[in-house]
Amino acid sequence: MSGTGRCERELLPTATGAQTAAAVGALLRGHRMLAVAAVTVMVVGTGIGLLTAPLLGHIVDLVVERRGAAALTVPMVLLVVVAVGRGVATAYGSSLIARLGETMLAGLRERFVERALRLPLERVEQAGSGDLTSRVTSDVTLIAKSVRQALPEFSRSALTIVLTLVGLAVLDWRFLLAALVAAPIQVLTVRWYVRRAIPVYAAHRVATGALQHQLLDSVDGARTVRAFRLSGKHVDLVAGRSESTVDLALRGIRLMTGFFSRLNLAELVGLGSVLVAGFVLVRNGSATIGTATAAALYFHSLFNPINAALVLIDDAQSAAASLARLVGVSTLPTEQEPSRPARPMDGSVKVAGLSHAYVAGHSVLRDVDLEVRSGERVALVGASGAGKTTLAKLIAGIHQPSAGSVALGGVDIADLGPAGTRRTVTLISQEVHVFAGTLADDLRLARPEAGDAELREALARVGALSWVEALPEGLATVVGEGGHRLTVAQSQQLALARLVLADPPIAILDEATADAGSAGARILEEAAGRALQGRTGLVVAHRLTQAATADRVVVLDHGRVVEAGTHEELIAAGGRYATLWAAWSDSRNSV
Amino acid sequence: MVAGGPTGRDVLRAAIGGQRRHLVAASVLGIAHQGCEALVPVVIGVVIDQAVATGSLDVLLRWLLVLCVLFFVLSTCYRTGARAAERAGEQAAHRLRLDLGARVLDPRGGAEAGRLPGALVNIATGDAKRVGAVATVLAYGMSAVAGLAISAVALLRISVPLGLLVLLGIPPLLWLGHRISQPLERRSGVEQERAAQASGVAADLVAGLRVLKGIGAEAAAVSRYRRTSQDSLAAALRAARSRAGHDGAVLALTGIFIVIIALVGAHLAMRDVISVGELVAAVGLAQFLLGPFQLLTFVNAEFAQGRASADRIASVLAAPPAVPVGSAALPEPVGGAVRLRGVSYGALRGVDLDIAAGSLVGVVARDPAAATDLLACLGREADPTGGTIELDGAGLAGLDPAEVRRAILVAQHDADLFEGTLLENVLAGTAPGTDAGRAMAAAAADEVAGTLPHGVDTVLAERGRSLSGGQRQRVALARALAADPPVLVVHDPTTAVDTVTEVRIAAGIRQVRRDRTTILVTTSPALLAVTDRVVVVDGGTVTADGPHPDLVAAREDYRSVVLT
Repeated sequence: MSGTGRCERELLPTATGAQTAAAVGALLRGHRMLAVAAVTVMVVGTGIGLLTAPLLGHIVDLVVERRGAAALTVPMVLLVVVAVGRGVATAYGSSLIARLGETMLAGLRERFVERALRLPLERVEQAGSGDLTSRVTSDVTLIAKSVRQALPEFSRSALTIVLTLVGLAVLDWRFLLAALVAAPIQVLTVRWYVRRAIPVYAAHRVATGALQHQLLDSVDGARTVRAFRLSGKHVDLVAGRSESTVDLALRGIRLMTGFFSRLNLAELVGLGSVLVAGFVLVRNGSATIGTATAAALYFHSLFNPINAALVLIDDAQSAAASLARLVGVSTLPTEQEPSRPARPMDGSVKVAGLSHAYVAGHSVLRDVDLEVRSGERVALVGASGAGKTTLAKLIAGIHQPSAGSVALGGVDIADLGPAGTRRTVTLISQEVHVFAGTLADDLRLARPEAGDAELREALARVGALSWVEALPEGLATVVGEGGHRLTVAQSQQLALARLVLADPPIAILDEATADAGSAGARILEEAAGRALQGRTGLVVAHRLTQAATADRVVVLDHGRVVEAGTHEELIAAGGRYATLWAAWSDSRNSV
Repeated sequence: MVAGGPTGRDVLRAAIGGQRRHLVAASVLGIAHQGCEALVPVVIGVVIDQAVATGSLDVLLRWLLVLCVLFFVLSTCYRTGARAAERAGEQAAHRLRLDLGARVLDPRGGAEAGRLPGALVNIATGDAKRVGAVATVLAYGMSAVAGLAISAVALLRISVPLGLLVLLGIPPLLWLGHRISQPLERRSGVEQERAAQASGVAADLVAGLRVLKGIGAEAAAVSRYRRTSQDSLAAALRAARSRAGHDGAVLALTGIFIVIIALVGAHLAMRDVISVGELVAAVGLAQFLLGPFQLLTFVNAEFAQGRASADRIASVLAAPPAVPVGSAALPEPVGGAVRLRGVSYGALRGVDLDIAAGSLVGVVARDPAAATDLLACLGREADPTGGTIELDGAGLAGLDPAEVRRAILVAQHDADLFEGTLLENVLAGTAPGTDAGRAMAAAAADEVAGTLPHGVDTVLAERGRSLSGGQRQRVALARALAADPPVLVVHDPTTAVDTVTEVRIAAGIRQVRRDRTTILVTTSPALLAVTDRVVVVDGGTVTADGPHPDLVAAREDYRSVVLT
């Protein structure tokens, strides 16, 4: 399979560094007290830990001065106290830092998912839902890992470095100068690394997204893969994607190991100069051997924290890239609610001069006018691809029309606002997704406050109560992916029950009964009829029986309304609908 | 593919064993690296002893040169060794991903039962990565052990009691560390499980985004996610507390251990058993020991997480197949005569049916569940609980499921399209070089291509969800027809297609499938009209059998199912 033309998707945006920082800052502000407490405990813990080197230096001096074994007792007891105190402070500080990080992370992912679910559908489709899924799964996981491992480690190391440098200065300011000889090398190394690593990590992230996409594609379509004996090919596809992530990961590792090799040079230079400084200072009498020892031990004990802190630049890079992808979605424009949302007067629908094209130059709807009275039932009829689904989505406010206007209950959709539109109109689309979880939870998506009795009532209205009660655990049965598998007809009944619960004045059924097969279709038609009672119904019909029982039939062809009228009028007119009807009834009667 | 149900331990062992070469190289180089690291404090001690204490510039320069050489070796070993270790981890994860992919897509099926696709994807990415990380840290662990050993030898050379102290002190210290990490292992299992669940819920909600938008349930969906996210947070906090306690305890323990070494060393120095420089080296070594110790704790924690991940991976790999593999072969060439005897499964209660090779037969099932169950048996996604199905006289249950599907293609009603162009989708089940034209025309998928911006080369975004239901059905049907199997079973292929096109498709199927066995499971009269005969399944058994016009004429119940 060639890879060309696959990357044309317009992925969801990624935030800039400033936007990301602002988002993190905003989260942090909500937990100021916790942050202060965590940092304080960590400073105390690290400070205690730093007493180790001078205590050891002191012991060296005691030995050099031949003070006798008894003199050792006090520093030794202090060292034990230091070890225990450091352990306790580390444990407490780490758990505070983790609490801070995890709470912020939960806030971040919840806000992100909220924004993601409110994105316009068009935007998600443009990017591919794999993009969104990988952000929701991989990126969240990666940030969580950083928060869990990198954050405590980084705070510990950074504090250790700062306090150790202070300790060196306290021994003699010239030791600090000697230690800082290594700093330029470290700065240059970090710059060398960051410049090269960023593009590699970005590419790795993209490759991981592609792998995720492929896995979801293959795993979700596993039945089809097996039926067509495509297992080998799909495993190869996964292998290809996986290999490219491995290649990029290894390129990142080459950079990282190069980075540490350069840091080794900084260690050598720093250690050498501290030793030379000790040599000079001891020779001219401004320092004892014990002080020189403590300085050398201090610097030596900096190796690990410096490496740990700088390696976390690596993790921080990955986490920052993931974070930017989460924040990027949050920066997408939100749906604008009008300042004073209008209320629909009734259940009427008025469409004027509506045109739409998904891809510029490929119009799907052309200048459509349509009026539906409140409570009326209108069937939309037309060949596949005539634009029925698009019209349905535009009326439901899911897509923005390229031109023209839609008014519900006498109010333009723009004045209703997204929330008002959702309350006014419900669209049951061809998708029959059953949400993973209990059946009751699935239904409550449409009306979260509904009690079990209401759920039963809604199910009874669409004729689904009998089979639901026959399920192993009734309403509490776990359905959806990984749970009890519902038939297509059952899933569609569930969709209709959600409609009853949402109880909007206008309902649009887009081929909702089409997918169930003819046997289930009749049951579903009756269910749909009952679900539509008391509201305006726009039914995208393929079975012309649905059209025949509607108050009015509107025929679409190539994106235009070509006929409208009652079933009888259109049959009598002998136009396109009459032809369709003839073909329909022929296939049923001529045999 | 691991046969017979691997355990988490097997998964870990295979992941490590598979990378033996890299891991050995990484360990050897890592050991050299740690050895050099351990020598750094020794050299510091020598410099203090022989240069700083004596004020000899010559000696200082000589030992600084030694330090340079030491760092060069140290740096080179690290760079090469770490690359090998990380390569091992990446490759082990890659292999696991492929094993998982192969198991989930295995013709025998059964691995996806009870799992969200999102959760499976998470196992194939996150868990595979964590098990791979175990291979990587194993090399680091080896080098840490070596670092400990080298320090011990250096200490033994300085003083035997000091060296023995380190050697005897380490095992109880490690044992304590292990004991402390046990609750962590359990909690990090729960933590990861909850995280995977939150991840799965988010992926499920994103997958159902169109439905959510249709009923305006975004707010309800958000609060549902918030609940699982909070559960995940609670588990993460419990694990974090446990981890923090673990880290603190290990830190305190190692600190006390070093104090003991320093104490003994200082006493020895007081009694002139060792020099001041040797005391500095001993203390430096004791401090250096923290590094390998912490590395070992890290390795231990990674192992704990890796084991939890390996268990999850093993549970997928060991999932019992939906159908067992058979060994019998189909007679060549496949004729296409299908015979069902007393088949019971789900809604089917003793179905007897003979379908002659090359015939076009309609199956009308009153109960949609009966249709679904029949398809499952014919495609050998499940074996009947009673009775037999034979193809050309060979029982399906004795055949490899892949072999069955080579002969019998079941085109599901809700078949998935895949990422790729329309043409790639249609040709998915064909030999290279097959012409898609005939199948496309028969399924009226050529019309679909005509409405797309780049025709047959249009990339179907979202596995074809950017197409309308009718368009998607036609592409899926074209794919089934293009595959040209000896037996084709098609389930309701035209439910979302308008009637005029449906009639055209019925004629197309008839023409393309001439002399090939074809079973149309449908209640569409347009499709049934082109069949040779129709079999009605009602109440789980065959209740009527005959040509469509005869059934229409003779049976009221048939008319009521088919002609509404």
